[in-house]
Amino acid sequence: MSSHPQKSTGFILGFSLVFMVLIAVPFFMDLFYQTFLTEVLVWVLFAVSFDLIFGYTGLLSFGQALFFGLGAYSIAIPVSKFGLGLGPAFLLAIIIPMLFAWLVGYFSVKLSGIHFVIITLIFALIGSTIGETWTSLTGGADGLTIPFTPLQIGPLKIDFTNIKTNYYLVLVVASLCFLLLKRMVQSPLGKVFIAIRENEDRARLIGYNVQRYKLLAFVIAGGLSGVAGGLYGITLKYASANSLHWGVSGHAVVYTIVGGMGTLFGPVLGTGIIMSLEHYLLNYMQGTDLVIGMVLVFMVLVAPKGLVGLLQRKGK
Amino acid sequence: MTLREVSKSFGGLLAVNNANLSVKKGELRALIGPNGAGKTTLLNLITGIYPVSQGQIHFKSREITRLSPDRISHQGISRTMQITSLFSGLTVFENIWVAVQSRKKFFNPFIRAIKWQEVRAKTNQMLELTGLQDKAELICSELAYGEQRILEMGIALSTDPDLLLLDEPTAGLNTQESIALVKKMRAMLSGQTIILVEHDMGVVMELADRISVLHYGEILAEGSPEEIRNNEEVKKVYLGY
Repeated sequence: MSSHPQKSTGFILGFSLVFMVLIAVPFFMDLFYQTFLTEVLVWVLFAVSFDLIFGYTGLLSFGQALFFGLGAYSIAIPVSKFGLGLGPAFLLAIIIPMLFAWLVGYFSVKLSGIHFVIITLIFALIGSTIGETWTSLTGGADGLTIPFTPLQIGPLKIDFTNIKTNYYLVLVVASLCFLLLKRMVQSPLGKVFIAIRENEDRARLIGYNVQRYKLLAFVIAGGLSGVAGGLYGITLKYASANSLHWGVSGHAVVYTIVGGMGTLFGPVLGTGIIMSLEHYLLNYMQGTDLVIGMVLVFMVLVAPKGLVGLLQRKGK
Repeated sequence: MTLREVSKSFGGLLAVNNANLSVKKGELRALIGPNGAGKTTLLNLITGIYPVSQGQIHFKSREITRLSPDRISHQGISRTMQITSLFSGLTVFENIWVAVQSRKKFFNPFIRAIKWQEVRAKTNQMLELTGLQDKAELICSELAYGEQRILEMGIALSTDPDLLLLDEPTAGLNTQESIALVKKMRAMLSGQTIILVEHDMGVVMELADRISVLHYGEILAEGSPEEIRNNEEVKKVYLGY
């Protein structure tokens, strides 16, 4: 962890370049690809939030779908049923998933290894079952349509039903969250998360309340998953119980492993590549899961540290 | 550090039986005994890894019997493990850093850790103490075994302990390496109270102020190195002559 000013400068330049390119996207890509890229950015955010708890803290959770779905419903229910504005609803998409993450995490982080995985899966199953059966609130598998009125900020009227506007909202929010996470994993707090991942017992013996830090990581990741879910709901104008299904967590697992866990860039790369591959394959086949599964197995065998790990090895 | 009638059972197995131990400040107490005597179990009880079945543990006039390992660490107790326990994927620098940082009450989650001058300075200081400053950027799993033992001790010392528990620090080392490690250890220590679990009797006799002998979970004998060397029961049970 010696200081690498070149690395920081490299990151700032790289991020700025990518951000500029992404800002320019609506000027050279048609609406279909703008929508596709918007979805990619949503899933990137979900995957990097998962990387915080899995890649950096060592907690494999299949419960992140619960917070993702709650994020979507935290917007859908208040807006469609109570006429709440988008701004306050978006705050709920952060707060409500964080509260649930605290509740789930409180019980889950007392466990470790496979027991932790299973309990998070159980919570996700409970969430998706409630989502599917409490149809009066959630719309069940049919879901809820989110009616949007333009957001008024002073003289400015922002219409999120507009694809370009929606794209920029997701781009800005996802970028800010990514930068926040990047700073956090490099901070003293991030070092604690990493220490816990590397050797939980040693971390405990030198004075870290490991459960408390695991819970903190879980809540932060839950909140960011909620933001991703909220953006998903805004993008699709729709929320359904399918968002709560544990399989949604599986997407984050695949993207993170393929891209490279514990790197933040890995989930970005993994999400972009896998989603692009799925999009391409849909032209030729219906069941893309088989191919994606094979890609995952291949990566685990050939490059267990993911694409980022492979690139780092080649770089050396 | 005082242990009063401390016992630990694992189901039907009584690993530590009614142990009474009192270690004075600044003392180096060696714990010796055959394999399975309960030495590491005793250290695990002191550091809160295992809950005590019976009895009390006091440190600096405070009872620490039911405290969690992290809280015990903050009381001023640190340890090395029988099997080297490091943050294996981290560099030597990061291993020390994390230990130094553990003494800080508040972390700013929005600053880059490397900018934290206070922690950085102390980390560099501890690195120099270990003599591993030239290997600071190596992943610690790339260190030689003896260097890993030194690093583990550096981690333990980075938490500013008043009591240091060393669990077989020379295990796995040959004679030359053990001598080098002991020399290094002496140079690193500065007045801490130490409980040393060790099989190498040469190391024990050289370093210990007092020795406690464990046998089947009980304190068999206690005394100066000379007294222990001449104790008939200890000779029969452990020293083999």
